[in-house]
This record gives sequence, structure tokens and C-alpha cells, in this order.
Amino acid sequence: MFEHRVVEIEKLARDLGLHPFDTYFEVIPLDIMHEIAAYGLPTRAQHWSYGKVYNHHKIHGEMGLSKIYEIVLNNDPCYAFLLDTNAEIDNLLVAAHVFAHSDFFRNNLWFDGSNRNMVNEAVEHARRIDEYIDKYGLDRVEHVMDIGFALDRHIDSYKGLNRKKYPERQVIEKERQPVPYSDLFGESQLTVTTQVIGDKIPPHPEKDLLWFLANYAPIEPWEKDVLEIIREESYYFFPQFETKILNEGWASFWHAEILNRYANLTPSETVEFARLHSSVVQPGGRLQLNPYYLGYKILVNIKERWDAMHAAGESAQDGFAKLFEVRATENDISFLSNYLTPELAEKLNLFSYGYVDEEDDDAHDIEIKSREYDEVLRALLAPHYNYGAPKIVVTEVRQGALQLAHEKGSLGDLDVRYAEKTMGYIYELWKNPVSLETTRGDAPIKFTYTQSGFSQGK
Amino acid sequence: MTVAISSFAVPWDLRRRGLKDSIRHDKRVREAIKQNLKELIAEETIITSDGQKVVKIPVRYLDQYRFIFDRATNGRGVGQGPGNVGDVIASDENGSAPGQAGDQPGQPIYEAEISIEELTRMMLEDLALPWLEQKQKDRIKTEAWRFEDIRKKGSLANLDRRRTLKQSLKRHAAMGKPKVGKIVDDDLRFRIPEIRDEFHSNCAVYLLMDRSGSMTTEKKYITKSFFFWMVRFLQLKYRTVETIFIAHDTEAAVVPEKDFFTLSNSGGTMCSSAYALALDHIAKHHPPARWNNYVFHFSDGDNYADDNARCLTLVKDLLRVATMVGYGEVNYNEFFSAYTGRGVLHAPPWSTLLREFKALDHPRFLAVTLEKREQVYEALREFLKVRES
Repeated sequence: MFEHRVVEIEKLARDLGLHPFDTYFEVIPLDIMHEIAAYGLPTRAQHWSYGKVYNHHKIHGEMGLSKIYEIVLNNDPCYAFLLDTNAEIDNLLVAAHVFAHSDFFRNNLWFDGSNRNMVNEAVEHARRIDEYIDKYGLDRVEHVMDIGFALDRHIDSYKGLNRKKYPERQVIEKERQPVPYSDLFGESQLTVTTQVIGDKIPPHPEKDLLWFLANYAPIEPWEKDVLEIIREESYYFFPQFETKILNEGWASFWHAEILNRYANLTPSETVEFARLHSSVVQPGGRLQLNPYYLGYKILVNIKERWDAMHAAGESAQDGFAKLFEVRATENDISFLSNYLTPELAEKLNLFSYGYVDEEDDDAHDIEIKSREYDEVLRALLAPHYNYGAPKIVVTEVRQGALQLAHEKGSLGDLDVRYAEKTMGYIYELWKNPVSLETTRGDAPIKFTYTQSGFSQGK
Repeated sequence: MTVAISSFAVPWDLRRRGLKDSIRHDKRVREAIKQNLKELIAEETIITSDGQKVVKIPVRYLDQYRFIFDRATNGRGVGQGPGNVGDVIASDENGSAPGQAGDQPGQPIYEAEISIEELTRMMLEDLALPWLEQKQKDRIKTEAWRFEDIRKKGSLANLDRRRTLKQSLKRHAAMGKPKVGKIVDDDLRFRIPEIRDEFHSNCAVYLLMDRSGSMTTEKKYITKSFFFWMVRFLQLKYRTVETIFIAHDTEAAVVPEKDFFTLSNSGGTMCSSAYALALDHIAKHHPPARWNNYVFHFSDGDNYADDNARCLTLVKDLLRVATMVGYGEVNYNEFFSAYTGRGVLHAPPWSTLLREFKALDHPRFLAVTLEKREQVYEALREFLKVRES
């Protein structure tokens, strides 16, 4: 009995120290699987872009190019979807995998504060968007959603989802008690100092563009609500973005540990499990690392190292204890920085690559750039910063004009064509000129979007 | 701790949205194509799609815009395997970056499949050959019947084999075994002919192309694009139209359509040769009493100076036997474009045929200048504008 065996798997998982949410499984046909995969949640506000992804999954799935084995949602209770055409052993492995994900969602620091009721809230979002569509028409609502999605990676996870607006402009007077004997110096009265707050908007460079525009752009309430819905769902998905490698590594590590200990498999199922596991953690392509593989390899390496250190008396923690600590505290950036050792990077044969001639926009050839550990790590981390998007902040509102800046750091330049269109979106909301300061290479450059369109200059 | 077929209390209209949104996506693709016809009309993959009925168009017009890194940055990443620093290990000939370590949500590049017929419809449906008149109908007695409909019942002679096999495949796939197997009655698909009243005006279109040495690749490309769509347009709108292709340098010849588009170019230019040949051909085959004759000529205007006067006379003669004469001058100048990176916007300093034609003030003589590919669309629309006669 499948249900019975899943209960046994869950018990094994809990005995091994995993602490997942209550987890509900739903066995669904392929088509529904594609649909949930496209939307990321079982029910979500409609938008044509999901149709695009759905089509892609459907075509690839039906042609046998790719197969989605499972979907698991960060929610309390946790929901997981299994494919009805999968063999039972496939779904058992997936169930073990799911319990580990569920454990990760529940116990990883970066998921702390994530919305554990998003499955239901997204339904409410869908309902609201449908109402707006009835009221304002599909085209208008869809367009505001286009704008929202264009900016949905520009949120500030440290400031959190619910924020107060900046303080209103006000002058605060502070009285200072006279210092003893000050009358000797002719300062007998109370000393009053004034401080102006809320004078500058924003008071500090603001990275949460969606929040800023939803609150400070002259838009209608329903438009604000649409942006806030998108922002809220973007917050929900952010921890999954920033822990992808660790989370998948963790789930792959545990499905192997659990099924290796599970006595109730037939011999042919054991073979099938081994085959399936090795296909999940296969290296990936020459130019593309499989995150399951990378995460899994690093975790196995951690376990080996700490078991050895523990045995030698160098560490109080053994391998498992260390793994649980890593699971609780790391995200991908810290996980890779702390635990992908130079030895392991060399063993995995990693290198960084890029276009031979990066200045040439028509260059096609890609070469190995470096095998130096620092370079490889830098290239590996680069796409993990700031939700994978260039960091853009609001620096100032001056005479109604919105000033943005690109905080480039050590990362790359902006794509100008995309910047142009995106600034056009921001202009639509802001309804006043928008400028963006960035650099091309080292040379400063400024993009401006006004009534007459896009321009760039120094 | 339950393994349950749980069900969320979600109304059905909020679920199962994939199909709806994917239809919406398709619609947006069509709209995007429509909005970008000007660029698409000169799209190389379409013009060179010899004989293919369906073309694939990369839908970069439907990108979801956001702030992203430039191409060089997107081309960086981490890979694995053997090789030394500096080894070229891949090439992205199709222009897409190799993608990073699997942590970006899939950004597949979409190619919309669209038939050339549909594309032509989108572009040119509201256009027509101008001043078309009803002429004698003696020659054209075509029973204009077309296969327009597919049904499950019909004459076996009209069996649509391809669709029938597809149905069989679909039915088996639905049962979990995708193959073409036994064909049952329900699989059969027949093409059903419909008889239609077709446009019965007699119409002959002369397409004249300069193939002299000065017609560079880019100029020829522009000309070719124009004629490509012109032919598609004519095939779509008028079933009974005759097209005559004439290529010329200092001499002109009638050539078959397939050769017309692949001619190499050489020699000097005497446009009068083509006009003379067209005149002759009209007199012999398409007398204006019974035929609407249309003459379109494309050249870079770099004609022998002493030939210009003759051209003028011949075009006047042509206007007597033709409903309309159109002249397109392709002004693309490689010398200037090397400097500015685009087609030059001023006329070259030497005299061109177009200037000679300025003297010709006739309502049914139309001339346009083209400087870049995108203007092919405007030229087509200018020539084929619906006009009151």
C-alpha cells in the first residue's frame, strides 16, 4: 500500500531528526502538474506569462524532454503533488525528498517569517485580480501586472513585507536642560534645538522599488493593490530563490539516507531507486551545473569532513549534527562561500567561463576563463545576489522627478534595451521624469525617461 | 500526518487557468507580430523560406522586460569538466546566452509558428490593387473552388491523409500509446471543397528588377523583400492574376519566378530595356482592353544618363496601356552606412532616374524611395492603397 509506505517513510524521516510540517500529498495527472509548475502555486492570479511557461512545460513534457517529478509548497501544512503516472518507487523517493524540503522550509532561518498560508492567500489574490479585470478590463489590469512583474525582484528582504511609510516632514524641537553653571556663561534659558525629519524622500537609498512605487506613485487604489499582490508573492518566493542549491542538496541527501534505511523495498525497487537517485544528482551539462548535484556533493563532503574531525576529537559535532546546523543557518551565498572548499571545487572540476571577447556584442565563442578558486566562487555567487537582478535603488525625488541609481558593485552592466523598457514602465506609474545613473564599464552614464521617451547621456 | 487526496476549497473558475492563459499568450504573440510587421517584413528567415508554408518567428517582441545584465555578464557562468584556461568550449550561434547555474527560472526563447498566408493577411489584407477595373471576362472562366473545410464525412477521393493519420496518433496517444495504429472511422478526415465567387477582373502584374552591378546585396534584398510580399499578396487576394518577372541590366528578359529571386547581378543599367520589353509583352499578351496591367519597377536609379530620356518616353507609353506604374528607388548607400551604421538619409549627389521621373506628373504613376528594410512595408502600403478611381 502506497499510503502505508509513505507513513513509514515519514516515520523514518522524523526518527533521523527531520522536523517537517504536516505534509499532504495529492496525486495528480501530468497536465495539472504542468499547470501548478507554471504558476508556482495551485491557484494564482491569471496572467498571460504563466500561459507561456505552461505551454513550455506542456510541450517539453509531452515530447518527453523533461519531467516534473514533484512540486512541494512552503506552507503549513505543507502540500506536495505527485504524478499519477509515476511508478510507486518513484513516488516513494519523491515523498522522502518532499519531507526533507518540508523540514527545510520549517527550520531554515531564511524562511523565518515567510507566509505559511500562501496557498490560501494566493487564491484570495486571484479573486481580487479577477474582480479588477471585471471592473477595469483585462488589458488594463494585465498591463499593470506586466509592470509589477518587471519590478518584482526589486524588493528588500531585510526591510520585510509590511512597512510603514517614511515619516511625514516635520520639525522636531528638542529642549535641552541647561548644563549646571551655564548661567555663568549667559545661557540661562532652556536650549532648544530643532531637527527636521522626513525632509528627504527617500531618507536613504530605497531598494524596494515595488513598495516605493506602490506607496509614492500617483496611482489608483486598485493599481496599488495589484502591485502589492505581486510584491507579496515575490516575497514568498524569495527564500526559495536564495536557498535553491542548499535546499535541493538537502532534499537529495535525505531521500538517499532515508531510502537506504528503508527495509521495505523489493530488490527491483532498490535497483530502480539507485538509478533514480543517480539521475537526480547527475552533474548537469558542461556549462550548466545541476543545483541538486552541487548541493548534494557539498553536503556529503561536509558530512565526511565533520565525521573525520569528530573521530579525531577536533570537533564536538559529528557529521549529522553539522549538517543540521548548516540547514538551519545558511543560504546559498553563505553555503557556497563557507563550504565549497578549494579542494572540492577542484575535485568537481569547476571552472568559470564567459565570452572570449566580452566587449564584442557579436561574439559567440565561449572560453574557460579561470580555474582559480576565487574566480570560480565569484562567478558561482554572482547570479545569487539581489534576487538575481541588478541592484537598482531610488536615491532622490527632486522636483517631482524620480532619480534611480544602479549599485553595480563587482557585477555587470545593464542591458540598455531592457532598461529602456523597464524605465518606461516606471515612468507610467510615476508620471514624471525618471532617471537612472549607472556606468558602462567605468564610464558614468545616465538614462532618462521623460514624456518624449528614452535618452542616454553623461 | 496524512496521505490524503486533499482538496482545497477553491472554486473551479479559479483553477485550471493554464489553458486560458496560454490562449491569452498566443493572442499576445499575434498582436506582437502585428505591431512589428515593419520589422518582420524584412525578416530574413521569412524571405528565404522558399516554399515553406509555415515559418518560425523568434518572438523577442514578447519579452518580459525587467532590469537585466548585459550580454557579456549573462554569458558568464560556472561549468565543469576538462579543459584549459582559454579553451573555447562552446558557441552560442543562435544568440542566446548559455545561462547560469540552473537557478534562473527557465527563460525559454519562443518561436511562434505562423503560416506565411496568415502573415500576409495580417500585413496586407486591407490593401488592394488600385484602380482595378472590370474588363472583359472572356478569358477567365475558372471554377474557383477551394478546399476550405475539414469534416469527418466525405468522398474517399478527398481523404486528407495527413490529418487522418494525426487523428489516429492522437487517439492512441490519449490511450497512452502514442503511435499511428489502426484507423477507425472516427479518425477519417475529409477535405470539403467549396465553390466560391472569385474576383474576375483580368489582371497582369509586371515585376521589373534591376540586376545590374550597382545593385548591391542590401539593395537586392530590399527589392526581393518587396516582390516576395507582392507575389504573396497577389496570390492571396486574386486567384486569377498573372505575374510576369522581368530582370534587366542593359538588356531585359522575362524569367521564371524561381530564377528571378536568385539571379546574380552584373553589367550596366539601361532601364529602358525593361520598359520596352514590358510594353512589348503587354501588346502581345495583355491588351489593355481586357487586362488591368500593373508595372512595378525597382532599381537603384543608377541609370545611364542618356537612357533617362528614353525611360521617360517609355513610361508614358506604358501608362497608356497600364492601370498603374510604380517605381521604387532603393537608395541604400553602403558608403554612408559604413559611417553612420544605417542607411543614408540623403539622396546621393549624382542624378538618378527618380529625379527624371519628377517631370512626369501623372496620377497613376507612383514613385517611392527606400532607404532601409523597414520601409518595404511602407512602400507596399503606398503602392497598394485602396484608391478611388
